[in-house]
Amino acid sequence: MNTAIPYQDITIVYYALAAVLLPFAAFLVNICLPGKRNSVSGWVSTLAILISVVLSATVFAQVWNKPQLHVQQLWFTIGATKLYAGVLLNNLSVLMLLLVSLIALPVHIYSTAYMKYDESYKRYFTYLSLFCFSMLALVVVDNLILFYAFWELVGFSSYLLIGFWFTKTKAMQANKKAFIMNRIGDVGLLMAIMILFSVFHTFDIEKILAWVNLSQHASNGWLSPNANGWIVPGISYQLPAIWQYIAVGGIFLAVAAKSAQFPLHTWLPDAMEGPTSVSALIHAATMVAAGVFLLGRVYPLFNTAELNILAVIGCFTAFMAATIALTQNDLKRILAYSTISQLGYMTMAMGIGAYSSSLFHLVTHAFFKCLLFLVAGIVIHQMQHIKEENDLDIDPQNILHMGGLRKKLPLTFIAAVIGAVALIGLPLTSGYLSKDGILVQAFEWSDGKSLIYRLIPVGALVTSLLTAFYVARLIVKVFFGEFRLQKANPHIKIHCGDGGWQYTLPLGLLAVYCIFPWFSLNPFIYEHAWVLNGFNISDYLERINIYHTIIPVGITILNVFVIYFAYAIYVKRNSYTFPQTGLLFKLSYHEWYIDKIYNSIIVQPVLAISRSASWVDKNIIDGFINLLKNTVLILSNITAWIDKYIIDGLLHLLTSITLGIGNFARNFQSGKIQYYLFSMLAIILAVFIWFLI
Amino acid sequence: MLSLLIFIPILFGLIIVVLPSSLRASFKYITLLATIVQLCISVWLYLNFKTGVAYGGINIENQFQFVQKLPWINLNLGALGKMQVDYFVGIDGISITLLVMTSLVLVVAALASWEIKSNLKGFFALFLLLDMALIGVFCSLDFFLFYIFYELMLLPLYFLIGMWGGARREYAAIKFFLYTLFGSVFMLLVMIGLYLSVTDPATGSHTFNMVQMMNPANYAPGSVFSTLSHQTIFGFPARTVGFIVLFIAFAIKVPVVPLHTWLPDAHVEAPTPVSIILAGILLKIGGYGIIRICIGIFPDVAASGAFWLGLLGIISIIYGALNALAQRDFKRIIAYSSVSQMGFVLLGIASQTAEGISGAVFQMVSHGFLATMLFFLVGVVYNRVHDRDIYNFRGLGSLMPKYTVFIMIAFFASLGLPGFSAFIAEAFSLAGAFKSEAVNGLVPQWMAAVGAVGILFSACYFLWTLQRMFFGSLSLKGGEIWKIAMTDLNTREMITLIPLAITVLVLGLMPSLVFEKINDSVLSLVQFLHTR
Repeated sequence: MNTAIPYQDITIVYYALAAVLLPFAAFLVNICLPGKRNSVSGWVSTLAILISVVLSATVFAQVWNKPQLHVQQLWFTIGATKLYAGVLLNNLSVLMLLLVSLIALPVHIYSTAYMKYDESYKRYFTYLSLFCFSMLALVVVDNLILFYAFWELVGFSSYLLIGFWFTKTKAMQANKKAFIMNRIGDVGLLMAIMILFSVFHTFDIEKILAWVNLSQHASNGWLSPNANGWIVPGISYQLPAIWQYIAVGGIFLAVAAKSAQFPLHTWLPDAMEGPTSVSALIHAATMVAAGVFLLGRVYPLFNTAELNILAVIGCFTAFMAATIALTQNDLKRILAYSTISQLGYMTMAMGIGAYSSSLFHLVTHAFFKCLLFLVAGIVIHQMQHIKEENDLDIDPQNILHMGGLRKKLPLTFIAAVIGAVALIGLPLTSGYLSKDGILVQAFEWSDGKSLIYRLIPVGALVTSLLTAFYVARLIVKVFFGEFRLQKANPHIKIHCGDGGWQYTLPLGLLAVYCIFPWFSLNPFIYEHAWVLNGFNISDYLERINIYHTIIPVGITILNVFVIYFAYAIYVKRNSYTFPQTGLLFKLSYHEWYIDKIYNSIIVQPVLAISRSASWVDKNIIDGFINLLKNTVLILSNITAWIDKYIIDGLLHLLTSITLGIGNFARNFQSGKIQYYLFSMLAIILAVFIWFLI
Repeated sequence: MLSLLIFIPILFGLIIVVLPSSLRASFKYITLLATIVQLCISVWLYLNFKTGVAYGGINIENQFQFVQKLPWINLNLGALGKMQVDYFVGIDGISITLLVMTSLVLVVAALASWEIKSNLKGFFALFLLLDMALIGVFCSLDFFLFYIFYELMLLPLYFLIGMWGGARREYAAIKFFLYTLFGSVFMLLVMIGLYLSVTDPATGSHTFNMVQMMNPANYAPGSVFSTLSHQTIFGFPARTVGFIVLFIAFAIKVPVVPLHTWLPDAHVEAPTPVSIILAGILLKIGGYGIIRICIGIFPDVAASGAFWLGLLGIISIIYGALNALAQRDFKRIIAYSSVSQMGFVLLGIASQTAEGISGAVFQMVSHGFLATMLFFLVGVVYNRVHDRDIYNFRGLGSLMPKYTVFIMIAFFASLGLPGFSAFIAEAFSLAGAFKSEAVNGLVPQWMAAVGAVGILFSACYFLWTLQRMFFGSLSLKGGEIWKIAMTDLNTREMITLIPLAITVLVLGLMPSLVFEKINDSVLSLVQFLHTR
């Protein structure tokens, strides 16, 4: 460790390290524990995360709004490049550190009850601890190689948890899809890292940002520092502009994959095949926020044009996902699309320069979305319970079967309403503070730009209203009206309840964090929120114009109207169906057909290419080899033939001639005196005739 | 010490040959002992290997370590001068890590050989002969000696595949043999050409010394491969031809697309221990040869041809991965994944940056362990039910949980999950390739970008195999009989796999174990290539 840092700071760093490593220790302990359902494992993991929360809180208190801490140690040397492993504690990382551990704690407690009857209870907590470790490490590391490492480990542990029930075919397809889509993002991130490294010769995030800052002042592109750390415009190597765009594009791909932005969002709804507690932690609150966190970490790399693209994509994602959420019937899928939509908000906020509002929304969203997922888990558990008890053939996640559950699950209902109100963004909740901030800034951002830029704030506004509608639909369908399952099957027995403290305590904890005082003492004016003031990239915090008043008020009024509208439709009619025809409905219900399009324009062609590559291998390359082989074989057959019939034939001819002559001559030596006399006579006769003629 | 390392297996091999066949049960223990002794020696070498600028090696003879140089063949050829062949062995940073890797892989291969049931004497004797040749290749610094070891590898491999292999073993064996022989015959010509061009400054006679071949001053003026005289062969510059011929010889070994088709066949037909040796060690000899001989002796051509080397590298990465995606034989998938992953080696070497070459060497070491692990794991299933078709299995995860854990480790390590060795290797091969354009302008950046896409494909085929074969509900083609036959890993298999898994993990977390030893050599190689 670097000894130049005062003792007290070192202690803080150690605290942070301990907070990160404790879940890892729990992971190791759980691996070693015997038995598949060892109930100790749950408590090991929970205890570890509990201590992590305490430590993170301490670290947070020490570092927030104070000078950042950066310690590093040599990891290895490769060529002339020294690679350091280090910890960077600044406002952003300690905020994330605290957030992640704070969300993880209730989820752990909840899981001890939720997974209680699962056969692989121990494996679940092993994976969960691995995830917590990777996520916590991701937010504190200081260099890009380590960042990438934990980035992928987060994806890997999410892969393990989505496919936790590995005998379910759907779950396995979902986790494969999730990992591969995340890998697309990883490749993008890796490319970005390589490009940054090739220019700046370092992986240290701080240094890279400093160089970027310097070289952008010096010239338009990214300049390579020389051995002495100087940047000389005109002499230093300048990265071609195209590669600068590719690097930024790579980072965007990474963000899109992790934070489920269009076009890489389709893995997230499928990822709901995992246990609900996992969806709450990973696919709602923490891992999916990693993309936005990455944007926050490397924000200065983006220039204005790139930020505009970011805003467009974020806004589009938010809108698209919200429209899909309108018509889905699977409880978790609705929430998943809602998550995508909210992440779109955050990305858009980054794009329009509302840096701290984006992070603020990340924080508030984590709490209320996690809360909603935990609620969904309880509801699904109860439905599953009813299904098993009465031997019904229903999908326990389908909201069309639910209804009127507020009387049966009163505490869950209250928690759900708090979460929903925060998600919609009504006053007095945390969601109101963060979301309105983004909307206000979106309008300010588009001011003075051409009309087309207006689409962004308007899109965000519409999305906000759509959100109000689908959330209201969800709550109404699940908790209000009559219990439709009972209506359809009147004699089923129903025993349900909120469950023990392991269920209610986490709900309570999270619900409390959805209320305003934690973030801003003034419930109506977001500009006072402390999170916003913690980041030095300044947002439009001055109440300079009318937007700051009119938008929150207007939105609230509209939202209330929309909620009432939804309530009116769904409670009054309380029916299974809603007109399900029309192009727009189909578009929404089939999730804009994006999966189908991907399958036909990407997956199938890749498979076809791979099959043809295999064909080339078998028929062209090996064909060529076989041709060579056959040619050689034919040649050798010809030579063999020549050998056999011509060369050997000559020899055979010779031998047979010799043999013939020999045989002929042998005839004369038969040992019979008559032949000798006869031959003598013949020869004498012949000689005689010869001379005579 | 190196000679001991090289010839220990032969010693044990002789014991096996001499022992009567009634003691055949002991052969596997003798072989295992031989490889373990070898491993101990190479670890000792590793620990005593000195690092520092003074131990760079590469083109400076006295910077090599554990050197042994004895005159071997000295023939006075009259007018042709003296023929000088030395027994010259020594190692530098490039070879030491590969040596340790080789010895460990051989131990695993010896353990995997326990499955062999027929003609044990022949098998283990050939195994140990092969063992000697492999180690010898990594140690020799005399081209003649190198060539002898190099050819000596072929013979046992041919018989090991051809006699103990699968159904189409003879086809595979002859294909393998002809492919590699094709490469090495022409290599012989270049070797002789080099011999006739290079003179030993000390004795004034021609020499096979590889280190001296790297110094342009040692080339006789006007000789074929002299850097100054620009001789031509068939109208092409002689040095280019020499480089290409040597490169083809080694590229067949690596294997580089399109010279790779022997590999899937040889792997599929070979018995498990031979697959392990093929993938774990033999392929590395290709990479090693390219570093030590191709670009070492012909640095000028290596620079001008770097673009093509890089191109072949990325073609191998992508094409191999695509092919792997289309296979349904478990072993073929892994064979093609080897093609894909060795592409990173070529890309890293082509970049001629410190990061790239270190990454390439690291990838060779890491792939040595990972390929060993993968082929061993395939062998486990094949031994139990004699089937490898992925479609015939489903849901093995619930039947063989321990096996599945190791499969997951091997798969995720191979697809470059951080924390395992392949990640560091691939990341730095690519980093080197990206950096190349700014540093020496040899490999364009788009190649590195395309190479990065390769790691996406590797995720696809490995995850597909995992999902198709190991997850889901249990269903086997062979029904109940298979279900009984598919027992989980036994102790011997665990003992084999655990060290491998630990090694890839440790290398991933502490890459300095390799980088520290190779760094000086890599730096002096880069320096040497740069100044050429």
